Amino acid sequence: MAAVFTPRFDLARFGAEVLRGSPRQADVIIVAGTVFKKIAPIIVRLYEQMAEPKWVISMGSCCNCGGMYDVYSVVQGLNQLIPVDVYVTGCPPRPEALEHGLTILQQKILSEERPSRSVLHLGGGTQGTTHPILIDGKTKSRDTRGPGMEGIPIRGTSVTSPRFWDSRSDLIWAPPPRQVELHERDKSLAHVLEEKFGDSIQKTHETSDMLTFHVAENRVKGVLKFLKTEASPKYLRLDDLTAIDESARRDQKPLPYYDGTVANEVGQNGKSVCPDKGVYPDYTLVYHLLSFDPPGRLRLKVGLTGQDPTTQTVTDIWPSANWYERETYEMFGIRFEGHPDLRRLIMPHDWEGYPLQKSHPGRATEMAPYTRASALKHQPLDAGAFVKQREGDQELLVLNIGPQHVGTHGLMRFIVSLDGERISDISLDIGYHHRGVEKIGEHQSWHQFIPYTDRVDYMGGVANNLSYLQSVEILAGIKVPERAQYVRVMLSEIFRINNHLVWFGTNAHDVGAMTPTFYTFREREQLMDVVELITGGRLHPAWFRIGGLAMDLPDGWKEAVDRFVKTLRERIRDYEALITKNPIFKARTQGVGVLSLKDAMEWGVTGPNLRACGLEWDLRKKIPYSSYENFEFDIPIATGCDCYARYLVRVEEIRQSLRIIEQAANQMPGGRYVTDDYRYTVPEKKDTLKDIESLIHHFINTTRGPKVPKGEAYTATEISRGEQGYYVVSDGLNMAYRMRIRTPGFANVQVMPLMARGGLISDLLAIIGSIDYILPDIDR
Amino acid sequence: MEPISTINVLSPWEPGILALGVFTLMSLILIIALLFLANWIGEKKPNPEKLRPYECGIIPTGTARFRYPVAFYLIAAFFLIFDVEAAYIFSWAIAFERLGWPGWLQISFFIVILLISLFYIWKKGGLEWGSTTHKNPPIRETSSLPSSTL
Repeated sequence: MAAVFTPRFDLARFGAEVLRGSPRQADVIIVAGTVFKKIAPIIVRLYEQMAEPKWVISMGSCCNCGGMYDVYSVVQGLNQLIPVDVYVTGCPPRPEALEHGLTILQQKILSEERPSRSVLHLGGGTQGTTHPILIDGKTKSRDTRGPGMEGIPIRGTSVTSPRFWDSRSDLIWAPPPRQVELHERDKSLAHVLEEKFGDSIQKTHETSDMLTFHVAENRVKGVLKFLKTEASPKYLRLDDLTAIDESARRDQKPLPYYDGTVANEVGQNGKSVCPDKGVYPDYTLVYHLLSFDPPGRLRLKVGLTGQDPTTQTVTDIWPSANWYERETYEMFGIRFEGHPDLRRLIMPHDWEGYPLQKSHPGRATEMAPYTRASALKHQPLDAGAFVKQREGDQELLVLNIGPQHVGTHGLMRFIVSLDGERISDISLDIGYHHRGVEKIGEHQSWHQFIPYTDRVDYMGGVANNLSYLQSVEILAGIKVPERAQYVRVMLSEIFRINNHLVWFGTNAHDVGAMTPTFYTFREREQLMDVVELITGGRLHPAWFRIGGLAMDLPDGWKEAVDRFVKTLRERIRDYEALITKNPIFKARTQGVGVLSLKDAMEWGVTGPNLRACGLEWDLRKKIPYSSYENFEFDIPIATGCDCYARYLVRVEEIRQSLRIIEQAANQMPGGRYVTDDYRYTVPEKKDTLKDIESLIHHFINTTRGPKVPKGEAYTATEISRGEQGYYVVSDGLNMAYRMRIRTPGFANVQVMPLMARGGLISDLLAIIGSIDYILPDIDR
Repeated sequence: MEPISTINVLSPWEPGILALGVFTLMSLILIIALLFLANWIGEKKPNPEKLRPYECGIIPTGTARFRYPVAFYLIAAFFLIFDVEAAYIFSWAIAFERLGWPGWLQISFFIVILLISLFYIWKKGGLEWGSTTHKNPPIRETSSLPSSTL
């Protein structure tokens, strides 16, 4: 979408150039991306607010029909809400496709609609389409197999929740999950904890990734406090907090036979005192903690029983727990006592049910159709509900910035209370881009889920695949060949540059500098050519596979990569000449959006935003993965803690990424591109033509999908915006039991009110640009 | 041959009320024509949703009609004052030679007075953006953290 306005594609040639900030001045609305139930009322309103004539282009498969997101939060097609003139296919469509769509619309207007006739009162001619909207289930098919299948009964059992019977994965044998030997430091910590908390804490016997404890519900707060303030090392960051609905576990054996999760024994006064070995829990709360020095992680699991379980909030230990607890509450129905503001965060405020419970429908096609009437009924919450105005305050202007706003970089809503131009308070309303990826992960096979990861941080491309695959590979103990590891590093860094180039243009644009966008997008197109040469795709290649890559590097990749590195290295100087010492840019960013290091660490801020506070913390160095330990590069940091510091860090990161790409390209090892253990991966095609074992694995792993041993694993990688972690829980089937994504944006954005409060409204846009968030990464 | 005297044949050109009348009439015709065309061509399909103020797709909260502190107001007032100064200086510049030294002295005095007031406003913080009562809040915590807490 953005690329069509930039030099290579140059939409202006086709008579459409100017983006309008409001529907009043527009005559075509391009709905690009997924249409969510939370944003649907807003799309209808924008369409209504357009002046005649009005046309609609539906851009992308998700917008056309729901695409690959047949999930509870997504409307299955824009044409259910407003009439559509032109559909542009693709996921995402190439820039040429959008241009083609625009020319088709122009032809349609010329030949069919002829709006000038109705303008001049000549009779005939229409201003926009007159086709009626479609109704899901009546005038359009709700059959997931496509139209025309109504007479044919659905075969087999559904994989959807709460239970999938007779899975043929049970017939496959799988080796036990990977087990790690704990570090001496972890062992001594476990010893200390068991001494201090006695029976209420219990170390798991085996773990695939990190030290793990079961903790009794009433002691978990004490344990967390101890781990943060007294333990050695101190676990200063709450990396992630989530839950698992245990109701659909197939093998609910309590301890000691089943080494998964345990509930708490109910004591005399009704309070649990220690993990019970006889009861299987209904829910498990999972806390992932991180220590900075030495780098390490730890997991706490808390079993909860009952249909409406309650536990204590930890927002007084970590302020960042605020959103995590709200999310857990609205997804699972787990209540947190003492939470300051426990209400829905991501789903619409009037949503019924808890989506990640196993009993909640996963697919939109299993639910009642979403119609235009639903869109008119379910309006977003009034801004007044977000504003805490006290008695006797002076009158403040309450203003919504977003969800439809060019400055918010996506569907995000800021509710600001303005005293003149000064922001006296600010609240965030997210969830307008909630795609239910975690739910999708529970019914897509381990392989099928890879393309969904690409779209979590849609500027991060294959770097997202890496985060996911790494967790699966750790759980199953898969060894990735060195060549594949190097290619993964090279492509991840290419996509980091992709992200930073787009960020550079938009950040400069946010504070008034228009030119850099045209410069950076020029190089980005060159980068996209490299990506396309290697993977065949542009934004979402989904090119990594369990155990390696989809295919080997093509001929000529080295020259293309070298050429790109050489060009960009020169061009960065141009960018910096435009911006780095620019007095206007400095005036707009220096001292603006200040976030102290202590706040950043307390709130779980990661990535360049954390490094701009002066902390040298980068997972690629501190907890290396995928051979990053073999590369020489620096961690750029800045100490300004402001928008300018964040700018400096990212610009330097482009240079460091170029160094890594150069090293990876020069030292590219030979050998296999995918592991030769074909149990979990799609075998090389040539092998399937030679031996029956490979052929069988090829068939099984591309159809039913591999079976991953029962267990769990969490790892995180350093993607362009920060630390992205995948917590995969397997119940020994061909799909995940629970797929949790810890995204950097969620934590980075939660802290924004701290930066923006008290500043000018123009500073807010500078802060938005410098934080560099992306919506599907926040809302998932 | 006697040259024909044209002095008394045509009445002298005396700009008067007629020209003003023609000008007014033409302006009126133009305005009416534009308004009519816009009204006739522009298709009107009003509905409550369309007539609602646009606020990023959300129904606006509260009223926009209340006492709104505008920092820009002060700057605009200063601009107006100093803009009038320019009007005087231009008119003096046109009659520069005729006014001579006395005129120069008078305008210099005028400019000096205005400069003094400009510096006074500057010093008082009148040119600072926003109200002077609240400034950017200071950094909440010191930006360095002792390594022992890590």
